[in-house]
Amino acid sequence: MPDTAMLQVRDLNVLYGDYQVLWDVSMEVGQGEVVAVLGPNGSGKSTVLKAIMGLAPVKSGAVMFEGKDLTKVPTHEMVGLGISMVLERRRLFSQMTVRENVLLGAYHRSVNKETKSRLEWVENMFPILAERRDQVAGRMSGGEQQMVAIARSLMSKPRLLLMDEPYLGLAPRIVKQIADMIKRVNQEGITVIFNEQNVQLSFGLSDRGYLLEGGRVVLSGTGDEMIHSDVIRRVYLGA
Amino acid sequence: MTFAIFLEQVINGIIIGSMYALIGSGIALIYGTMRVLNLAHGEFYMLGGYFIFFLAVTYGVPSWLAIPVAVFATFILGVLIQRLTIHYLLEKEGWLFSTIAVTLGLSIFLQNAALLMFGEQFQSVPYYIDGMVEIGSIRLPLQRLLIFVVAVITIAAMTFILKKTRLGWAIRATSQDRDAAAVVGIPAHRIYLITFGIAGALGAIAAAMLAPIYAINPWSGLPILLKGFVVVILGGLGSFPGAIVGGLFLGVVEAIGVQLTSSEWRDVIAFALMIAVIWWRPWGLFGKKPS
Repeated sequence: MPDTAMLQVRDLNVLYGDYQVLWDVSMEVGQGEVVAVLGPNGSGKSTVLKAIMGLAPVKSGAVMFEGKDLTKVPTHEMVGLGISMVLERRRLFSQMTVRENVLLGAYHRSVNKETKSRLEWVENMFPILAERRDQVAGRMSGGEQQMVAIARSLMSKPRLLLMDEPYLGLAPRIVKQIADMIKRVNQEGITVIFNEQNVQLSFGLSDRGYLLEGGRVVLSGTGDEMIHSDVIRRVYLGA
Repeated sequence: MTFAIFLEQVINGIIIGSMYALIGSGIALIYGTMRVLNLAHGEFYMLGGYFIFFLAVTYGVPSWLAIPVAVFATFILGVLIQRLTIHYLLEKEGWLFSTIAVTLGLSIFLQNAALLMFGEQFQSVPYYIDGMVEIGSIRLPLQRLLIFVVAVITIAAMTFILKKTRLGWAIRATSQDRDAAAVVGIPAHRIYLITFGIAGALGAIAAAMLAPIYAINPWSGLPILLKGFVVVILGGLGSFPGAIVGGLFLGVVEAIGVQLTSSEWRDVIAFALMIAVIWWRPWGLFGKKPS
C-alpha cells in the first residue's frame, strides 16, 4: 500500500437508474504505480474507471485526486487535472485520420499550446503513428487502433492514465505489444490503472490489484498474494 | 423538352437545391452532433425571413447589412432555444422522444407567436439585384445567380470550419463519439449550443436568399422543414456533405419533374423520391450502409 495516495476512491456507490453497480468501493493508488482492477464480466470493474472519469452516475462516495474531489469535476475538465483515459474498445473518432485523432488528444487549453512538442514525443515513442498518419482510424486493426487510442490519451500530458479493458478483443501477440506500451508509459512516470478479466495476464504488468465481485471489492493485494488466494479461485471458478 | 429548356431547369434546380442543401445541412448538423431531430428547424427559416423583412423593408437597412444581422440574430436564437429546452432534456431519460415532442411544440409555438406578432399577411422583400445574364440561349436573373453564389460561399465556409478549425474538429469529434470527445477535454454542452446556433444561421441564410422569391408568413417554415427532411434522408441522416449533395439532387429532380408535369406535382415528386429512397436505401443515397 502506498504511503501517500495519488488517488483515493472512498465508499463509492454507483447506480444506473435503480440498478446498483458499485457498492462501497474503496481503493488507493500511489504515484507511479500500475494497478489492476480485476473481476469477471459484470463485476463493475469498468464502472470503477468510468466513475473516476465522471462517466458513470455516482450516487455517493468520493474520488480524491491530489486532494480534489473528482466527483464534482465534469469529464471534459479531467485532462486539465492530469487525468486521461483510454475507453473500452478504443473509441477512436472513426471517420477521422490517425493524425487528427492524436491531435485531438491535446484539445484541452491546458496542453493545446504544446501540441507540437507532444506530437513529436508520442510519434517518437510510437513510430507507427507517423507512418499511418493519413489513414482513417476506423479502418485500422484492433491492435493499431488501441495504439492510436493510447497515443491520443498521452497527448494531454497525463499523470494518471485510466485504461478500460486495454486487451479486449485483441490477439495474444498484440496483447503483448500493448502490455509493452503500457510498461513504457509507466516508465515515463505515468500512473496507470487498468482493468482486465484475466488475472494471469494482469499481473505481468501491475504492481497490485483489486478484485471485484458483484460490484464490491472482495480482495486486494500484490500479484503473488492474489494469485494464490482462495478468493480468486472462488470468484472465477465458483469453487 | 428542348435541350436549352432542360439545361435551364437543371440550373434552376441547382439554385433552389443549394437552398435545400443549407436547410438540410442544418438538420444534419443538429442530428449528427446530438441525435436530435429538430422539428422546429423550419421556424429558423421563417423567423430568419421576418428578421430580414423588418430590417430591410420596415427599417430600410441596406441588404448587405440586413442579411448578416438577421443571420446573427437567428444564430443567437438557435443558441437560446437549445439552452432553454434541448439542454435540459438531453440530461434526462427518454430524451430521444422528448426532444422530438419539444421541438414539435416549439414549432407550433413559434408559428403562432409569429402570427400574433406579425399578422397573417404574406410579406416579401424586393430583389437584392435586378437584371439578367444571358449565357448562350439561357437567361438567368442575377438574383438567382446571387442565391447560388451565397450558397457556394456558405458551404465552402462551413467545410472550412468543420475541417480546419478547432471548433470544427470539436463538432466532428463530438458527433462521432461524445464520451471520447469529453475525455479529451471537449465540452459537449458548449458544442451543442454552437451547433444549434450554426444550424439556425444556415436556415436564416436560406431565408434571406429566398425571401425575394417566396413570401414570408408564419407558416413558411413548414414546407421548408419537409424539404429539409427529404434532403437529409437522401443524403444520409447526420451527414453534412450528404445534405449538400442531397439538396442539389432534390432541386434538380424537382425542377425537371415539374417541367415534365406541372408545378402542382413538385411536392409529390419530392416525397415520392423520399419514399423510394427509404424503401431502397434507408441509409440514404450517399450514406454508408450500416454494417
